[in-house]
Amino acid sequence: MPGETVSRARYERAVKARAEAEALLEQKSRALWEANKALREQAEALEEAVRSRTEELERARAEAEAANDAKSGFLAVISHEIRTPMNAILGMAAGLEESGLPPDQQEMAQVILSSGRVLLDLLNDVLDLSKIEAGRMEMEMRPFDLRAFAAEERALFSEMAASRGLAFSVEVMADKALVVSDPTRLRQVLSNLLSNAFKFTREGAVAVLLTVRDGQLQMRVTDSGPGVPEAHRPRLFQAFSQGDASVTRTHGGTGLGLAISRRFCRLLGGDLVYEHVPGGGACFVATVALGAAPVADRRIDRAEGFKAEQVLRARRWRVLVAEDSETNQKVLRLVLKPFDLDLRMVTDGAQAVALRKTRAFDLVLMDVNMPVMDGLVAAAAIRAWEAGTGAPRVPIMALTANVMTHQVSDYATQGIDAHVGKPFRREELVQGMARLLKCPG
Amino acid sequence: MKGIVFTELLAMAEGVVGEAGVDEVLDGLALASGGAYSRVGNYPCSELLAIVSALAARTGVPAEDLQRRFGAWMHARFTQLYPGFFAAKDGPLHMLESIETEVHVEVRKLYPDAELPRFETSWQGEALRMCYVSPRPLVSFCEGLIHACGAHYGTPLRVDVTRVSDGEAVFDVSLER
Repeated sequence: MPGETVSRARYERAVKARAEAEALLEQKSRALWEANKALREQAEALEEAVRSRTEELERARAEAEAANDAKSGFLAVISHEIRTPMNAILGMAAGLEESGLPPDQQEMAQVILSSGRVLLDLLNDVLDLSKIEAGRMEMEMRPFDLRAFAAEERALFSEMAASRGLAFSVEVMADKALVVSDPTRLRQVLSNLLSNAFKFTREGAVAVLLTVRDGQLQMRVTDSGPGVPEAHRPRLFQAFSQGDASVTRTHGGTGLGLAISRRFCRLLGGDLVYEHVPGGGACFVATVALGAAPVADRRIDRAEGFKAEQVLRARRWRVLVAEDSETNQKVLRLVLKPFDLDLRMVTDGAQAVALRKTRAFDLVLMDVNMPVMDGLVAAAAIRAWEAGTGAPRVPIMALTANVMTHQVSDYATQGIDAHVGKPFRREELVQGMARLLKCPG
Repeated sequence: MKGIVFTELLAMAEGVVGEAGVDEVLDGLALASGGAYSRVGNYPCSELLAIVSALAARTGVPAEDLQRRFGAWMHARFTQLYPGFFAAKDGPLHMLESIETEVHVEVRKLYPDAELPRFETSWQGEALRMCYVSPRPLVSFCEGLIHACGAHYGTPLRVDVTRVSDGEAVFDVSLER
């Protein structure tokens, strides 16, 4: 058959084409291998880059966290350092105001006092915020009387309402008066909402409605002011942010109140939101989850303030005061002046321990940060001496600008019975002292 | 130009002039490749044109007709080699429309050095206008390929060709009614 033989030329062409194809194949295989190798190397380089970027990010994150910790620590230290002289300033100003000054000087003293309180509020806000940000804000859940709570808030703001000619109501809708939450924080939230409401309302009314339902407390604050313009609502709860610069000019404030209030509410298992009211005016609704109420605890003493003063007047109590700052000693004397007390002042812990060993006292007021021997060591030494000699246990109250809750709980293990933070209000100090004097040990 | 074009051209030529005829044609041309083509190689287009001319002279069939027949032959090969492209289209016009935007895109991925013609398409009512631009004078080859595409889908096509130059033409393609 003619197909069975091929020409020499055809055969050579076929061979040549095959050789060419094979050379090409080899070349392509080589190129493929090279490309593969390059790809592998690139993948390794990429992995290395990712590794080093991750390390860098990790380092940057650690640095940022350290910086943030340093910031929180700095704020805590600064607030502590400022609280101590503030104690003296407010105490002295209060004393000055009560010292029978001519009217113009009286007014000056009042300005010092009110400005000092504003400064203290600001300081507290900054400290609160730094504690929240550091995750160290501790809530103190305890039972309290919601009606008494409402009454106190009403009393606090009724004068302001009257002076501005505004109607003001505080209503409570609850089956039981006794609820469990952190009343200090709740008071901060409600006071903040109320002072905002009064700040912005020129005429009409401010109303508070406290409702307990389904294990939740709702605090609804409404006013007949201009309300919050829609454009400002998104930034309402951001720290250091106010409606606009004119708000700061006309109404003052730092723009921390709502940010802190919302965070408190969230820490207490709820939230703080702005509700639009169709007819105008502002409405803020704070909710918190309530804890389970203990059945037995009914020791809510509404007249405690009055009774405390009675306790302090009952006799000439022997009080040992360890306080290194001369100014703060003066403040204490001034604050306690209305009561006829036998005050013994020493300036460090070692002196306090020595004096306690030679004399009997009804109460010890102990500063914490003191030279020579600090208050905690002194308290522990007094407790050890009492245990060794069988002497009666004297109540010890710490006076300190350290206000972290966990620090306070440390005090209890040192033999300290109670604590009042500086700067203190007279009622606070007096109530604390009265409690210890009523039930010594 | 890709070797497959040459191996396919010779396969078609064998059917027309026989093995010996093809050998004679190749031997009679002074080709740089010596007429030894493999599917995976690359060869100059001038060799293709030389072979087509020699075949035309030997058979008496005009070179343009040979190009058209070769276009149809290549289309048949494409449908065997790459059936996916054809199955995805519902008719010849959509298939032709996708040459530039889909087929050539895939070809470039496999052969970055491939020198492909351009087919810019636009719709003229129900007709497809294809503007062909190539450095190679293969207008008739394209015409054969377009007709074969219609045949593949069982829909004969009417193709009006307007030649602009050797490597440039406008094909107005519509369904034959």
